[in-house]
Order: sequence, then structure tokens, then C-alpha cells
Amino acid sequence: MRGPSSRHPDEPREQLPPVEGFVSDANDLAPGVRVVYPNQGVCTVEGTEEKDIAGQKLQLVRMRREEDGAVVLVPRAKVPTVGLRRVATGDQIQGVFHYLAAQSDDPELDWKVRHRDNADRLVGGGVLGLAEVVKGLHSLSRLRPLPNKEREQYDNARHLLVHEVAVALGVPPGVAEDYIDYVLVPPAGVKFDVPPPPAPVMLPSRPRRHRPAPAEEESDIADLGLSDLGLDLDLDGAVAAPGEATEGGEAAAAGRDDEAVEGGAAEAGEGAEAGEPPPRPRAAPARAARGKPAGKAASSKPARKAPATAPKRAAKAAREKPARKAAAKAPPRRGGKKK
Amino acid sequence: MIRIALLEELDPADLTFLTRSLYRAFGLGTEVAGHRPQPAHAERKDGRLDALALLRAAAPVRAFADDKVLYVTTAPLSLPPGPLGEPPCWGFAEYGKDRALVSTARLPARGLSEASVEAHRRRLAREAIHAIGHLWDLHHCVDARCPMHPSWSPHLPASPEMDLCAFCREKSERKIRLAKT
Repeated sequence: MRGPSSRHPDEPREQLPPVEGFVSDANDLAPGVRVVYPNQGVCTVEGTEEKDIAGQKLQLVRMRREEDGAVVLVPRAKVPTVGLRRVATGDQIQGVFHYLAAQSDDPELDWKVRHRDNADRLVGGGVLGLAEVVKGLHSLSRLRPLPNKEREQYDNARHLLVHEVAVALGVPPGVAEDYIDYVLVPPAGVKFDVPPPPAPVMLPSRPRRHRPAPAEEESDIADLGLSDLGLDLDLDGAVAAPGEATEGGEAAAAGRDDEAVEGGAAEAGEGAEAGEPPPRPRAAPARAARGKPAGKAASSKPARKAPATAPKRAAKAAREKPARKAAAKAPPRRGGKKK
Repeated sequence: MIRIALLEELDPADLTFLTRSLYRAFGLGTEVAGHRPQPAHAERKDGRLDALALLRAAAPVRAFADDKVLYVTTAPLSLPPGPLGEPPCWGFAEYGKDRALVSTARLPARGLSEASVEAHRRRLAREAIHAIGHLWDLHHCVDARCPMHPSWSPHLPASPEMDLCAFCREKSERKIRLAKT
């Protein structure tokens, strides 16, 4: 069986051993055979048909999902790759119940890893993979409430497991769910003495995330594409290690601030070298506006007051306009005046 | 619409509480559809009734599409034994279909005090919501406060709630909205 699709186009697909009952040949799908379609549930094969799709004549295997009667069509050539498998046998179901009754391991706490692994188990893990997802998320829910996405995943896995167990044991799904929960959440005082559970489902090995070397990281940070934006910033000081965040670094940053304001003429760290950083020109206009000489402020006051009535009117109009607009746009009231 | 059919006598006040609780939980009209005879051949050697056989043989109730029928009995029920034993049976529902069964045999004794009567009613309502929830495609829930949590769970609170958890409520509402009628 082919493993799940690779996360990166350059990454080769990993070959995993097929699950028990895996259907690798379309000729095995005779009408009436019951198979499990990953993430869809138990289906009954109805036969083969030919369809003209996009100018191509395709041989399709027609299956009907037992749960709701939905039709699933799979090209014959793709049968080995979609992960079809036969309905679990009695031994497999026994193994599932032994697994569910066994002591549970600590759940994976990294949600990303957990979610990905569970998705892989649902697709290629067989009936034991479904049980692993249900048990793993169930034991996690004992520690903390499941997030919505995982709650849905749990519900899907449970749905698929319940239906497969029901089909395998020949009981209604309601009874199959009671069997599963009787083992998963045993009543007070009930303990199961079961043989060791089957080996867990093999998952594709995930390559570790490539962590760049410090030198590489620096060069990455330096290449932020700022030159494309017409900005010529020196980031040497900014990318200092956390432990190296000293006063000198701050001073250097202040110096760069000055440099930017002065049009890039001054050298980086100039202010730091001078000892006293010069006043920040960027804050200057605001400060100037606040701290103007009294005389000047007095002289400018009448000049500012004169046009002040016009902005007031404009502001009043602006306040009223949205209200009028809203009134104009508001839908007519129900039972309003009839024309 | 949820229709309640009684296979044995039930206190009218309990029945009123049950209909109100079901209406609150699912937002569907609930009414009592009267009495039906208890099928005799569902009884097993140990005196309990086979839940599957009982539901199959119960007299039908006139219902429209998407109506759910809940049979209430006082007899103890049993399920066929599973791979690791027989789970305790509080009721049974045909998953995603239209008939469910609930028994009062395992509920706390009704007693005479107000508190015991209240506890009995609340538990009956919880089990009924659980059974009807299965008819709306709800599975067992991980939240111990939700009525869809397994009935035998040791994590069940002493006074069980009758409101579905957010996930189960949303799922049931979605199913009810998608129903034909």
C-alpha cells in the first residue's frame, strides 16, 4: 500500500506495509463484496461501469455506501491507491477491543503532530487506526476539552469505527457503540483481563523540521527584501542574540533612527559614539506643537479661531449624514403605509 | 415531532416533565401517543426483555416522516453480549432511524420525597434525550455533563443535566434542519 501523500513535492512517498485485508487488485471487487473506503465507511460493490469523462473512457467500480446509500465511483486503475480494504474480520475486531480495554498511553500533546498522525491513521490505519484515534482523543478529552476541529475528528473516527464494528459483528450500530463505550468507559467496578493489544499502526516517519544554522538564520533575516522596497537598513544590531541586548544596542538603534531621518547621510551608531543622542526629530513636530512659545500661540489663536466655525459645521454635517443615509437605506418596515 | 408511546403505566406528572424536557432539548413538539401493549415474546429466560426484539415487535405509532417515536417501559432490558461482555442497558435506539426505547428499571428509585422524585424524573429525561439523540445521528459524547455521555459512566454527575453540550446541540440542530419536513 502506498503511504499518505508527501507534504512536499520533492519528498518521496513513503512505502508503508499494507493493512490487513487491503484490496490491491480491482478484480477482487466482485459485486456484493463489502469493502471499507477510507474516511467514507462500509460500501458494497455493485459492479463495474464505463463512463465517458472529459473525452476519456474510464472503467469505474461502482460502490454504494451502506450507511446512507450514497454512490461512490472509483476508477479501476486507482483501486490500489485509494486504500480500499475488506471489512474487519472477527480477529481484528477482537484486537480492537483488546486495544480499547488496555491501559492507555499518555496522549500526544503537540496538537499539530497529533492531528496529522490521526489523519494518517484514519486514512491508512485500518480498523485499528480508527480505534487508536478514538482512544487517543478520548483519553485526551479526560485531560482537557477537545478543540472543535479535533472534536469533529473524534466524532468522524467514532462514526466510522461504530459502523465497521456493527457490520463486522452483525449488530445494529447503536449496540456496537455500546460495546465500544463499555470497554472505553467501563462502569464502576468492572475491569477487563485482556491479552496484550496488537501492535500499533505504523505511521509514516515525518522528517524533522529543518532548523537553520545561526549564520544561515542571520543571512535569512538580512534578506528580507527591503532593498526591493528602496529601504537601506542596517539590521546587524537588531538581530543580536537575546542575551546581547545591551545599552549599546539600544544606542545603535537610536543612531539608526537619526540616520533615517537625516536622509541616510549619517553613519549608523553615530549617536552612540557621540555619547548623547541628539533630540529625535521625528517627535519634534508634536513637541513643537505642544510647547510653542506663549506669544506665538497667542498670536496664532485668532487666526485659528476664525475658520473654526466651518469645520464645526462640516463635523455637524458629517454626524448627521450617516444617520440620514442609514435612514434612506433602511428597509421599509413591515406593515408600513400601503400605497 | 417526538411521540411518546407508553408500554406500561407512567405517572402523569413524570410524563409532563419528560415531554417538556424533550421539547427543550431538541426544540421539537412532543406529545404522548397513548399506550401500546408490551410484546410478550421479547422476554428472555432471565426475566429481562431483549431491547432489540422489543423495539422490533412494538406496536407501531402513527407518525409522519422525520417523526421520532419513543417507547417507555418499566421492565429491565438487555442487549446481546459483546466481545468483552454485555453492556448495561438503559435504552436502545435505531441509530439515525425513527424508533427508540427507554426503560425506567435502572433509574434511581422514585421514592416519595420531593428530591427523590425530582432525581428520578431528571434521570428519565436524560435517558430519553440520550435515546432520541441517537435517532438524530448523535454518538456518545466525551463530555460527562452532556446527556449523550454513556449512561453507565462513572464520571456521570450525581444530578445529570438535560441540556446537550454545544457540539451535540449543533449537530442535532443541523440534522433537524436538514430533515425532510
